[in-house]
Amino acid sequence: MQVGLKIWRYDSKTGDRALREYEVDAPEEATLLDCLDLVKDKHDGSLAYRKSCRMMICGSCGMRMDGAAVLACKVRMYDIAKEGRVPVISAMGNLPIIKDLVVDMDPFWEKMRAVDPYLQPRFDQAEERENVISQPRMDVIHKESLCINCGCCVSECNSMEADPDFLGPAALAKGMRFVGDPRDGATIERLEKYSEPHGLWDCTRCYFCNERCPKGVDPRDAIAKLGAEAMKNGIDRDMGAKHAKWFVTSAKTTGWLRETELVPKTQGIVSSIKEMKFAMGLAVKGKVPPPFPPHVAAEVHESRALFDLVKTQGRDGAAGIVQGEKALGRIESHHAASGGRDPYTEADSAPRPYLPSEREETA
Amino acid sequence: MEPSFDVLVVGAGCAGMRAAIEAHDRGARVGVISKLHPTRSHSGAAEGGINAALGNTAEDSPEKHAFDTVKGSDYLGDQDAIEIFTREAPDDIYQLEHWGAVFSRNAEGRLDQRPFGAAGSPRTVYAADITGHVLIQVLYEQLQRRMAEGMTVFEEYFAFRLLVEDGRCTGVISWDLMNGGVKLITGKSVILATGGVGRLYRATTNAYACTGDGMSMALHEGLPLKDIEFMQFHPTTMYPSGILITEGCRGEGGYLINKDGERFMQRYAPNALELASRDVVSRSETTEIEAGRGVNGSIYLDLRHLGAEKILTKLPGSRELAMTYAGVDPIYAPIPVRPGAHYHMGGVETDNWGLTEIEGLYAAGEVACVSVHGANRLGGNSLMETITFGRRSGQAAAEYAHGAPPPGNGGEAARADAETWVKSLLANTEGERPWSIRDELGQSMLDNFGVFRRPEKMEKQVEIIAGLRERYDRGIVIEDKGDVFNSDLTQAIELGYLLDIASCMLQAGIARTESRGAHSRPYDFPDRDDEHFLKHSISRWNGDGPKLTYGEVRMTQWKPMERTY
Repeated sequence: MQVGLKIWRYDSKTGDRALREYEVDAPEEATLLDCLDLVKDKHDGSLAYRKSCRMMICGSCGMRMDGAAVLACKVRMYDIAKEGRVPVISAMGNLPIIKDLVVDMDPFWEKMRAVDPYLQPRFDQAEERENVISQPRMDVIHKESLCINCGCCVSECNSMEADPDFLGPAALAKGMRFVGDPRDGATIERLEKYSEPHGLWDCTRCYFCNERCPKGVDPRDAIAKLGAEAMKNGIDRDMGAKHAKWFVTSAKTTGWLRETELVPKTQGIVSSIKEMKFAMGLAVKGKVPPPFPPHVAAEVHESRALFDLVKTQGRDGAAGIVQGEKALGRIESHHAASGGRDPYTEADSAPRPYLPSEREETA
Repeated sequence: MEPSFDVLVVGAGCAGMRAAIEAHDRGARVGVISKLHPTRSHSGAAEGGINAALGNTAEDSPEKHAFDTVKGSDYLGDQDAIEIFTREAPDDIYQLEHWGAVFSRNAEGRLDQRPFGAAGSPRTVYAADITGHVLIQVLYEQLQRRMAEGMTVFEEYFAFRLLVEDGRCTGVISWDLMNGGVKLITGKSVILATGGVGRLYRATTNAYACTGDGMSMALHEGLPLKDIEFMQFHPTTMYPSGILITEGCRGEGGYLINKDGERFMQRYAPNALELASRDVVSRSETTEIEAGRGVNGSIYLDLRHLGAEKILTKLPGSRELAMTYAGVDPIYAPIPVRPGAHYHMGGVETDNWGLTEIEGLYAAGEVACVSVHGANRLGGNSLMETITFGRRSGQAAAEYAHGAPPPGNGGEAARADAETWVKSLLANTEGERPWSIRDELGQSMLDNFGVFRRPEKMEKQVEIIAGLRERYDRGIVIEDKGDVFNSDLTQAIELGYLLDIASCMLQAGIARTESRGAHSRPYDFPDRDDEHFLKHSISRWNGDGPKLTYGEVRMTQWKPMERTY
């Protein structure tokens, strides 16, 4: 099949930047990475991109296709080529471009190191054998441990675009990998550290990281779990934590979000006074509901009952986070969508397995 | 002044990182250089698991593990090394768990162990089907901890020459991928952990990075490669990409069937069936395919009877790979698979501490040949080898460095010489670009030196390699003339490594007139010949080609027996 690609070329020495179009003849099973290889072999040996495993595990080939981060080895080109689309390939975002599709990953790894990315064992004296831990207890960090450090989430992070010092989705997911590990003994220290400015509360919840992660790590969920664990452990001085807490209090007491009280509850009184002029302006335009008497929802008992239920279930901390479950969800829904299919009796089913000895017996 | 260390580790997969950690913890100043970021290393693509006789699922012992390994090696493994390996493996696993490795657990909360091919007991510790990924992550976590204590990691430095002064290895010369330039880094001792050379074959499970760099560098310093003709073909690599589907699929109960649905393994290995050793299964598959009982040059790996839940919990990565690269959901349809080049049993000859013939130079992991695997490696033994022998070589290199004098003064001259060579490569504008040589080599190796080895095809392959070598030596054109991330340059150098190793493999393969393990000659020498070939092939570079001799196999308690499964 003929595959067309437009590739943003970049030379960091000269600063030259150009969008070049290439066409390659590729086999039908070709991935984006295979097509880049063909461009490099047949058209321009100077094209630079990273690659290694070509099976979605090494994390080398993160880049953007039509503006969204992808692993090049995971993208099959067949449908795109058949539609006649010519996708634009460019380097990942939020990281400095070195050459063509190669970015400088040092800022990525610096963030990673900032979360102390190694186990700080809880046990003083190491067990002679392995630590005994149930599988369900380890499942808490299952998704976080799938991360291959490709950088796709960081590329897409809106918060990091605004604040390059934000720890970011990959590093925070790595943090959750240790906070959720029963063998780690530094939970409190970690949560304190991750709750500092540029930390977990600076995530804007845009969910792009969940959306674009090629491995189903769901970094935003990891950040939510860290936030919940922090509050469970009383680490809630950050404005982000106070903001989130007020949502809960407000919903529990009135069933509504009481926005007028949100600012002082989040920022504190002194800081809120500075916002008075702005608030008055909003009030004049009728954008501020009067704080008294509080507006109580008619069915507030439902919201309270929900709150109590969650409490009695012990779903505080990370266990209370309803997860995106993107990867698993997709797998399961795909499975459910074809549920009831019999893998043996359809027209194109492969034959049912048998042992040669079974045939001999019946013969 | 160039960076200088006590111990310099080349390569940062499981073996390299484990070696670096051990050397650091023993007080050495450690530098690590790798052509990839460490977590990109191909160890991370290992799927099924890592073998140690923990006895968590059923009774087991290091002796049983050793016997299975000796038998699996077709008696070519060195038995003293295998005994050390299986004895020390359990503690190495516990160490990984204490560092935080996210292994799968059994009902008691202990490390779960699954059955694997040719293993007498379920002894493969695993993390779903991403075991290598979990190990790479935990080792890099530990590396980062030590980087804060002074360990230095040079990422994306492409090593291409060893510095050997007065018979002692004291450093490596490398190309700095990010910035360009030929750099010298020295060490009182050097550990090669550069991995294998699966990229010699067009159908391979191996990453693009697996180009035999360390083997070739060692070869050109006069070091012997041992048992280099033994390339393992993994029985379940996907058609057409060659991407690995783990042996864990069969460990969890998967079937291999031909186009009629027949579980043909019963005719080849009546007891072990699908869980016979890899060489046996790959030969059986090839026989089926050649007899016309395959489908599109493949046979099927059938997981349908395992059911959705087991596939989703135990083999989710394999399902994702099958869906992405073969368009098949294994819950509903079997996966087309065929044998593909996977692992080099042979490599740089070392002793049981990883020491090579050159003072100060050690090797561990797939680049090395201790030999634990002999003529055929058991699934799950290679990850274990990287850890156990990575640790041992790290210890030995640190101890050696402790008493060793600093490197000599020859480094700068060697670096300048290497720089001249790189400049001449870049300056060449006449000739062909390397990719067609690479593709012809990969396809012809698959055709002529694959699972079954026919004499006339091997002779033909010698000529093909000579022709490709001539084209390569005549001068190849590197189109990228720049300094920054010049992968055109490094890939051209890698192709030279591939050609070196291919020559050695063919010479040793033709000379071994028997069938043993992964070296199978059904048309002229179908049987094992212990009288003449219960010995290691030893290949050295001699001017412009390899020279072959033989070495003794170290035996302890197991006499060669007929090998059936």
